[in-house]
Amino acid sequence: MADKTRESCLICQIVANKVPSHKVYEDDLTLAVLDVNGANPGHCFVIPKNHYPIIEQVPDQELANLFGVANKISSSIFENLKAQGTNIFVANGIPAGQTVAHFVINVIPRKENDGINLQWKPKQLTQEEMSTVELKLKEQIENIGVGKIEPIEGSKTLSGPVQAGTQPISEDDEDEDYISRQMNRIP
Amino acid sequence: MPEQPQQQAPQQQMSEEQVKVLQEKLKNMSPEELKEFQKKQCIFCQIIAGKVQSKKVYDDEEVIAILDVNPANPGHLLIMPKEHYSIMPQIPEDEVGHIFMVAKALSNVSLRALEVQGSNIIVANGVAAGQRAQHFMVHLIPRKDNDNINFQIPQKNIPEQELKKIRDLLSKNLGTKAKEQGMPPVPVIPTGKRVVEAEFKEKKPGKKREVEKETKNKETKKEVKKSSESGINLDDIAKVLGAR
Repeated sequence: MADKTRESCLICQIVANKVPSHKVYEDDLTLAVLDVNGANPGHCFVIPKNHYPIIEQVPDQELANLFGVANKISSSIFENLKAQGTNIFVANGIPAGQTVAHFVINVIPRKENDGINLQWKPKQLTQEEMSTVELKLKEQIENIGVGKIEPIEGSKTLSGPVQAGTQPISEDDEDEDYISRQMNRIP
Repeated sequence: MPEQPQQQAPQQQMSEEQVKVLQEKLKNMSPEELKEFQKKQCIFCQIIAGKVQSKKVYDDEEVIAILDVNPANPGHLLIMPKEHYSIMPQIPEDEVGHIFMVAKALSNVSLRALEVQGSNIIVANGVAAGQRAQHFMVHLIPRKDNDNINFQIPQKNIPEQELKKIRDLLSKNLGTKAKEQGMPPVPVIPTGKRVVEAEFKEKKPGKKREVEKETKNKETKKEVKKSSESGINLDDIAKVLGAR
């Protein structure tokens, strides 16, 4: 059954090298390829090599690896493509806009007025509606035990100021500086 | 390629003079001072410190999740590291992993609790990407059909030559093993639990500590049953996708 899934899944075909792609990164669990019809040049798909349709099915370790890679690619986009920003975008389920039955993280380089819109119009909720939602979520968290998420191995409790040396981009952080500066200027 | 960044930010509310003074001040600060300054200025650091009220639904040593007061949909959550980072590239790798593990778990929670059929996970790094807060956050937005959210991600035709150029640029310092075609297929790691159903049945109790397993198990089962009655079932969501 698993084989059948893989044959009919375009992403699995890419992973198996049966469909050509532009690979940007690859390790045992994760593959990153360029979207040939990207929203902007440099738009990448970060995908698990194993076939999982939605995020809830991806095991924690694989998930951590996937987003770690997405983060590295985001850094590389800042550094090497001189982008002004990046989006990490996941569509989980059809109402969310998912079109392929294989979990994918989109990493999208951004610049001003590039025609991409990931904004929304805030919905007005009453205090009561907000409280109901809060209660429902908390109940469910208790039931399925999200509170028991254990930090991954090697993860440390962070306290105090972060040392400059812990930032991944240290060689050429001109662009990151630009972003940070912009952040600082937001009132 | 974007040219050198212009000296302007769309959300600017200070006068140019004020900005200059502030920038000068920032330039002369030590990293520690800067960190403190940012924390004082950051509303989300205030929320994390409990100095500003919020509807908190999840909290652990590193991460907090609160309801967005201007939600795209009911149940819109902001998942944030407690430490102040502006953008994702500043966050240590293990912390990134943890943040998104929480996002996954909370997506699972909202699918079940709010009777929605999907979720979006969105991060904006930089003003050009739509970032408005100066504290890094992951947006988790529960989704239903016809909920009036229209994200636009246009498709552009990118010439083959440019793709190759970009691939080489991007993979430069990723420590990539990726090459052009012709690599032998990478063996898929067997997990033993590949069947979707098995994955889920295993997983929920798996998150409990041993002691609590017995009692909580019953609750979990009850909850799962309730979910499937109301038509909210992860397997269904996955299956619908598979049928496409």
